Amino acid sequence: MSDLNNGISRRSVLKGAAVGGLGIAAGGSLLAGCGSGATGPLAYGARSVDAGPTAQNEALLAAYTAKTGNEVKYNATESNAFQNNLSQYLQGTPDDAFEWMAGYRMQFFAEQGLLADLTGVWDTIGDQYAESYKIASTGLDGKQYFVPRSWYPWGLHFRKSMFQELGLNADNVTNWDEFLKMLDGMKKKGLIGFAAGNKGGWEAMGTFDILNARINGYQFHVDLLAGREKWTDAKVTEVFTYWEQLIPYMNTNVLDLEWDGAMQLLLQKKAGSMLMGSWFGGNFKEQSEADYLDLSIIPFPEINPANGRDTIDAPIDGYCVAANGTNNEGGADFLKFAGDIEGVNAILGAKDANGLPIPMTSANKGQDTSSYDPFQKEQLAVMAEAKYITQFLDRDTRPDFAGPVVGPAIQSWFKNPKDIAKIQDTLQSQWDALPPLA
Amino acid sequence: MSSTAKDITKVSRRRAFSKADRTTLSAFVGIPLFFHLLLVWIPAVLTILLSFTYWSGISISRIKWAGLANYKNIFFDTPAFWEALRNNIIWLGWFGLIATPLGILLAYQIDRQIRGHKFYETAYYLPVVLSLAVTGIIWNFLLRPDGFVNGLFGRDIDNAISFFGNYDINIYVILTIASWRHIGYIMLLYLAGLKSVDSALREAASLDGATEWQTFKKVIFPSMKPVNIIVIVITIIESLRAFDIVYIIYGSSAGFPILGTLVFQNIAGEGASMKGAAYAVILFVLSIGPIIAYLRTTFKSDVQ
Repeated sequence: MSDLNNGISRRSVLKGAAVGGLGIAAGGSLLAGCGSGATGPLAYGARSVDAGPTAQNEALLAAYTAKTGNEVKYNATESNAFQNNLSQYLQGTPDDAFEWMAGYRMQFFAEQGLLADLTGVWDTIGDQYAESYKIASTGLDGKQYFVPRSWYPWGLHFRKSMFQELGLNADNVTNWDEFLKMLDGMKKKGLIGFAAGNKGGWEAMGTFDILNARINGYQFHVDLLAGREKWTDAKVTEVFTYWEQLIPYMNTNVLDLEWDGAMQLLLQKKAGSMLMGSWFGGNFKEQSEADYLDLSIIPFPEINPANGRDTIDAPIDGYCVAANGTNNEGGADFLKFAGDIEGVNAILGAKDANGLPIPMTSANKGQDTSSYDPFQKEQLAVMAEAKYITQFLDRDTRPDFAGPVVGPAIQSWFKNPKDIAKIQDTLQSQWDALPPLA
Repeated sequence: MSSTAKDITKVSRRRAFSKADRTTLSAFVGIPLFFHLLLVWIPAVLTILLSFTYWSGISISRIKWAGLANYKNIFFDTPAFWEALRNNIIWLGWFGLIATPLGILLAYQIDRQIRGHKFYETAYYLPVVLSLAVTGIIWNFLLRPDGFVNGLFGRDIDNAISFFGNYDINIYVILTIASWRHIGYIMLLYLAGLKSVDSALREAASLDGATEWQTFKKVIFPSMKPVNIIVIVITIIESLRAFDIVYIIYGSSAGFPILGTLVFQNIAGEGASMKGAAYAVILFVLSIGPIIAYLRTTFKSDVQ
């Protein structure tokens, strides 16, 4: 109770004049919470306005309200805007529970005291999750601040029908030489081999991650992103040397296209393959069921036999409770439901506009994988092969480094790959210039 | 500034204000002053102070003194800054040498009431009505790889003309878009000035046998000094504070770095650091010269 009051007074200072009305509203719901002793009405912040996730969230909220009688207010924000405003949002009057990402991005805000401790939730539903998910949900202080919802692997995507026409077999694209041979064959047929877009600045980070992990191994990759290795290392140069070999097989307008532009190349069968997170399968499905069923994924090929295909970027999305929310208890209660198989099944029961199920690879062990469609089963297989799981470059390193430094650096490499030595120098000097972590 | 203060004291000596007058006056001066200080100068001063600190924007107790580290980082370790500065300077050069003179030329022609001047006036004025963000959305729709222009040429997304991603030409694409609006803006300002030029001056010049160019250069242009200064200052400020169009087209990724997007990229979102505040201060210092000049001209003409 006193914690909550502190939350309100801190807000009052920050929000100045506007706080009057908000404070009264917050006080009102607090009183209501105290009076009934129930977990009471709460607000949920979604970080997507797309049709699929909205339908899933609505199904989840409806199931929760039906079970507990608690009303949940639904606030949806477009994902980029949500991400850009998160600091302000969490320090202002946030929704009680909100959608966020696991790993460093969660730990960063947990460390600043902006996320509520969810250890109690994990005590209840923890046994429904594999240990790796618990680790990804744990803050630097050893407490859990996150409840996973879904995950998706980053792998090499292609269309089965195109592979068939080209006479290719996915089982024969397992190492770098075979991969280049495949790309070469596609190029000879007038196709783009490796669709890429990097106008958004983050898309190509996935390619860097996987090349670095394949060439230099998981440990080097993790150490590099944590600042324990140098960006000027010859090992990093090698990553870009390999990457440069792919340029002739890419579309020429990498810096014109965002991820969805690259996806269009694959969708329109202008490109033979693309490295991307499997989440874009939802966009294929929106296009047509046939396009979705044509989609296939394999692990990115091996480069260094010492590492094999042992690492994969598989970001986990899920939920947090905002410490400054008016109803932390209610938020935690909601996540207990959302993380439980009951909530997961409610999400899986959601239907898209055509009345078809919306595919989701849940983090919950209890999800019935026999109901998975073939594309989802392939995702599971890709995942099962990996020994090490990373989140994604912008989720595995400092936020003031990933977006403002690495993003532009890779863009300038695309402008002129010959500048690599200079780019590596500035990457390292900008890492060294970062403020010390509090 | 000092001359206004003098005028007020002169006035007050001439006539004593009643108590009600004084209350009204202080309310009229005080309330705007209060909001001006609160919303403009306090944040500006805080930004300057914050630019010398390390802070992620979360909980005030975590601010740490950084000295000049943010500036050192920008000047010595961030190539994007120099790229952005270069782009802003090209922007300024383009506006100063091409867009603004074109606006003046148009204003002059329309003022001479050439045939169809009403049409030109409307056509060039139209973009000024739109905000820069809307301008960005319109042109992005036209020029992106799956946009209207590429569609018109029958280009698909894989062989689309690269308007935004080709770094040999994209600055000129952006500048053309920005000029589309800037020309109309300058035209409007200049047209208002031209309307106030005494037509007797023109007649006298033509009686003396001056050519059109001589009349403009020797008579009209000098007599419009206050407007000229405003136009120059606006050209400089518009070039430095450019942000909206680039943000709409490139997002916050700094795919096309200019100072405005660097401020945003470093101050918004999870990656917030006071490097963004330092960028803002640099931008502020670069703009303050023209702004002071602008204010002085405005005040002078007001007093006159």
